[in-house]
Amino acid sequence: MAVADDSLLSDDLLRQLMATGHVDILVGVPTLNNASTVVDVVRAAQRGIAQYFPRARALIFNADSGSDDGTPTLVRDATTDDTGTVSASRPLRTTNRISTPYHGLPGKGSALRVIFAVADLLSADAIVTLDPNVISVTPDWIPALAAPVRDGHADLVAPRYPRAATDGPLVTQLVRPLVRAAYGWTLYEPLMGEFGCSPQFAAHCLEHPALGTVIPEDVDVWMAAEALAKGFRPAQAALGPRLLGAPRKRPALRDVFQQVMDAVCACLELHDAYWLPRGAADPVPCFGTLNGAVEPGPHPDVTAMAEAFARDVAALRPVLATILTETTLAGVTAAAATPPRLVYDDDLWAATVFEFLLAYHRAVMTREHVTQTLLPLYLGRTAAFLMQHASSEPAIVDAAFESLCLAFERAKPSAAALWKKA
Amino acid sequence: MTQMIAEAVRQASVNFMDTVAMLLPRILITASIVAVGWVIAWALKWAVRWILIWSRFNHFCERIGVSAVLKTADLPPADHLVSLIVFWLVWVGFLLSGVDVLGFTALEGMVRSFAQFVPRLIVAIVIVVLGFVVANFAWRATLIAAVNARVPSPRVVSGAVRALVLILAGAMALDQIALARTIVLTAFAIAFGAVMLGLAIAFGVGGGGIARRILDHWFPEHPQAAEQEEFRHL
Amino acid sequence: MTAGDPLWYKDAVIYQLHVKTFFDSDGDGVGDFRGLTSKLDYLQALGVNTLWLLPTFPSPFRDDGYDIADYYSIHPMYGTMEDFQGFLAAAHDRGLRVVTELVLNHTSDKHPWFLQARSSRDNPRRDWYVWSDTDDKYRGVRIIFLDTETSNWAWDPVSRQYYWHRFFSHQPDLNYDNPAVREEMWQVMKFWAELGVDGFRVDAVPYLVEREGTTCEGMPETHEVIKFLRGRLDAHFPGRMLLAEANQVPELVRPYFGDGDEFHMAFHFPLMTRMFMAIRLEDRGPLTDIIRRTPALPDNCQWAVFLRNHDELTLEMVTPEEREFMYDEYARDPVARLNLGIRRRLAPLLDGDRRRVELMNGLLMSLPGSPIVYYGDEIGMGDNVYLGDRNGVRTPMQWSGGWNGGFSTADPERLAFAMISNPVYGYQAVNVLAQERSGHTLLNWMRRLIRVRQSTRVFSRGSLTLLEPPNQRVLAYVRAFQKEQVLVVNNLSGTVQAVELDLSSLAGAIPVEMFGQSLFPRIGTQPYLLTLGPHAFYWFRLRRL
Repeated sequence: MAVADDSLLSDDLLRQLMATGHVDILVGVPTLNNASTVVDVVRAAQRGIAQYFPRARALIFNADSGSDDGTPTLVRDATTDDTGTVSASRPLRTTNRISTPYHGLPGKGSALRVIFAVADLLSADAIVTLDPNVISVTPDWIPALAAPVRDGHADLVAPRYPRAATDGPLVTQLVRPLVRAAYGWTLYEPLMGEFGCSPQFAAHCLEHPALGTVIPEDVDVWMAAEALAKGFRPAQAALGPRLLGAPRKRPALRDVFQQVMDAVCACLELHDAYWLPRGAADPVPCFGTLNGAVEPGPHPDVTAMAEAFARDVAALRPVLATILTETTLAGVTAAAATPPRLVYDDDLWAATVFEFLLAYHRAVMTREHVTQTLLPLYLGRTAAFLMQHASSEPAIVDAAFESLCLAFERAKPSAAALWKKA
Repeated sequence: MTQMIAEAVRQASVNFMDTVAMLLPRILITASIVAVGWVIAWALKWAVRWILIWSRFNHFCERIGVSAVLKTADLPPADHLVSLIVFWLVWVGFLLSGVDVLGFTALEGMVRSFAQFVPRLIVAIVIVVLGFVVANFAWRATLIAAVNARVPSPRVVSGAVRALVLILAGAMALDQIALARTIVLTAFAIAFGAVMLGLAIAFGVGGGGIARRILDHWFPEHPQAAEQEEFRHL
Repeated sequence: MTAGDPLWYKDAVIYQLHVKTFFDSDGDGVGDFRGLTSKLDYLQALGVNTLWLLPTFPSPFRDDGYDIADYYSIHPMYGTMEDFQGFLAAAHDRGLRVVTELVLNHTSDKHPWFLQARSSRDNPRRDWYVWSDTDDKYRGVRIIFLDTETSNWAWDPVSRQYYWHRFFSHQPDLNYDNPAVREEMWQVMKFWAELGVDGFRVDAVPYLVEREGTTCEGMPETHEVIKFLRGRLDAHFPGRMLLAEANQVPELVRPYFGDGDEFHMAFHFPLMTRMFMAIRLEDRGPLTDIIRRTPALPDNCQWAVFLRNHDELTLEMVTPEEREFMYDEYARDPVARLNLGIRRRLAPLLDGDRRRVELMNGLLMSLPGSPIVYYGDEIGMGDNVYLGDRNGVRTPMQWSGGWNGGFSTADPERLAFAMISNPVYGYQAVNVLAQERSGHTLLNWMRRLIRVRQSTRVFSRGSLTLLEPPNQRVLAYVRAFQKEQVLVVNNLSGTVQAVELDLSSLAGAIPVEMFGQSLFPRIGTQPYLLTLGPHAFYWFRLRRL
């Protein structure tokens, strides 16, 4: 059995697990200072189980990495607010709830390790992990993420949200097309905030040294990539829009960007034997239909972004020259030259990203410098995309997302060839 | 008289012949030392070059920015340069030992002082190289950070940082080889002071607003204010 | 048999049987009182102390005897009045009490009272039933037998008026607003009580009195009727018992106990359903929920609890999700479903799993109330869902592997209901004779179970305190009566379980397992760890020595 070392599960937790016994569904909620949002997430999970899996043995498991804002207490209180309030549909079986602190490296990876270890011990048939910071979670997310696993259709169910042009450009402009082109799967949300997975995949991750150690943060993208690379069956579940609560302290964009890029690049390094020979993307089956209004979200000042882009490209020119090929650099320089009419087209952006990727891979400079140099270009590309599509119809925005992905797929083969040479 | 002159000449010839007879083996030894030294230095040069290629030294230099500097200065690639330095150091070493064998007192003093000078020269070279590396790294780090932090004139700031580091490294290297210490110290103080004064004046006179913006950025009074402009990237 | 403890019904272990299918003494294919009398030794050996007989009155048998045509005699096919009296005496001699059916709400439309009442509007008995010129009265009252009836009113073409019936249209409701009716029903009770019957199981209690603008169920006047009959019974025959059939949630059944001046006992229907649900869900939630919702009773009252009876396993009081679950788990074959319930016997419901059968009986015998064992379930008899209506659970008792399972010497074709004859549950495989020959059969296990239960009054009269171990698959409670305490731990799941019980309030007690008298470690202040095999249950008498 793939159970982690002794230190992973405390004696007290083990006693609670003993009392819980085998479960059909385990809903894991890794938390760190999520007091403002976690209660609704736990309640949604409870209702989801009651409504859609009334017969299932279920456990809502909260792994807390040392919150100091009372998150674990809130989770416990949310759970004492028993199913009486949702009597319209209440589970036939008792829904078990456990909230436990865990020891070890802080971070989502470690929390997931605990969740997977618990799932393994309890022989859960399906595991769903929810992001405690999402305020738009509804009960039907539970069946959407769990059902494809329970029905034997998938080992990993990634979420799929309706996305507006302004919503999550880091995903739509960078991570999605890059992962799709590289791994050759039409996975829409590689940074899975929430996901469902099979016990086999959980056991695989549990045994993998990368989880919680190599990639302590943004482990979600590693899990998605690992599933694709190791032949686990992927699926996607159409959920409603994803809205985040205001965190206590919002991390700076540069840190977020750095984390995401480090995680994505680490995955690409790890899996290059798999992705280099992959061809055009295979479709990942999507369960359910996307619905829910697309929230436009706060609208950034694109003119200011474009002007900043022009300044940044000029300033960074010597650094860019060591990363980009002359053609691409010329393209970027030309794009930045006339801020009011900023055009940063899909192919140029795809070439830019892949050349940065190669620079990262060859380590032509410290990797942090590579990713941090990409950040202003990413903002420029985002500004260009928003100038064009901020007020477009959702269908047109989706088509633009798709055409960007195709541009990345076109740019991949030459990048892959250079990657092998390096 | 003539005889005296002849005797003197003979004596001188004898002395000269004696000296030549005495020196000739030494010259031969010196020549052979120099020749063998050249061969060893040449072999070492290729060995070092081979090891550096094998250990992807150029790749490393590219990463820390040395390659770019060398390229700018129209110098050969890093591995070539290092092997050349090794060649010359070794061969010059042999050359000096060869000269030492000749037993010229004047030369001996020169050789001794050169032998004392070599380690300091090496240290100075290392300092310069490290200075380049650090300066380049600091320049790039400052440039990228300044751009991403929306600090105005990032290239000026980063250039100043690079200049400071280079000046510091140059001064340290010159100090190490002890060439005209007073002049070096004075020149360094003037150059360093000039850069700092220039920055201060630029900052104070031309950039009161900019200074305030920078300070606001680094020490925000209302953290949200800075974040409002941002939207959700994830 | 009227002497003794007036609260005898609290200590009763009731055996429910149908005279028609129990034992046939005269070879006519129908069970009878002489046959039943001859099997009393068997019942005594089983350990039960009360018999509940389904109706044996003269009847056109359109509702298996619940449509009575004469309240003062026995149907000839069951024997004579003398046979009945002989049976009663023999039962009492063995310490067995007898409870019979009393159908108060309605008669058969073939009953002379109704025949007279309908003969003309002026007949003195006219007012014994509920008549109306229109079928508009009591609009909105629910129809119980939705499958067969379209209205609670039926047209009488003879007297050209509608008559009221809550059940089948051939079962007209008596009019309890008429004092003469109450008096007459008292006479019926008196008749049987004088013969020596110890109690009456009263059918369809909530429907006695109708009032406009109400649901016509559980009217205050209905309670008055019950109080009237109870008063008379107590005055003339102290120590006799009334048992109510009111198929409702416990909160709504509670009023029928009054202040201890209406019914002595009432069935606890939801507890039965929840037991089946809990064992399939392997979760104590449904049981603890219903136990908490069960109100306290007056001191002289008691619940009657059961696993199966002569009707379908009712699913009226569960949510749609729960009902769907129960159907999926217990009646995947739609033919087993009837009305809102499942027409199967205990053993087939539990897939013939001996462990589950034992656990369910263990729960039945250790939860509060007087348990009822349905005939045949003590040997694990099967059913025949193809017999129609609820007759599949009323097949003849299987006494041996011989001719007609030892039930009757008649030709098999002549039997009231065909014997079960399949290789799994047929009389060749499942019968009393075979099970009496081995110590480890279900029959002998049931005898032991009943004996252990009856060895103390803590189960029949004690209080119940639920324990809340974190393991939801384990149901644990402490029964306490006077100085006695019994700890009951049940593993509802089919897998081995470990459970930690917080027994700090019982610290110092030594648990003694009641079936084997094994000693367990003394209870301390630390959590008490027990491991239980699949569907295992322990009863511990807690001794302080």
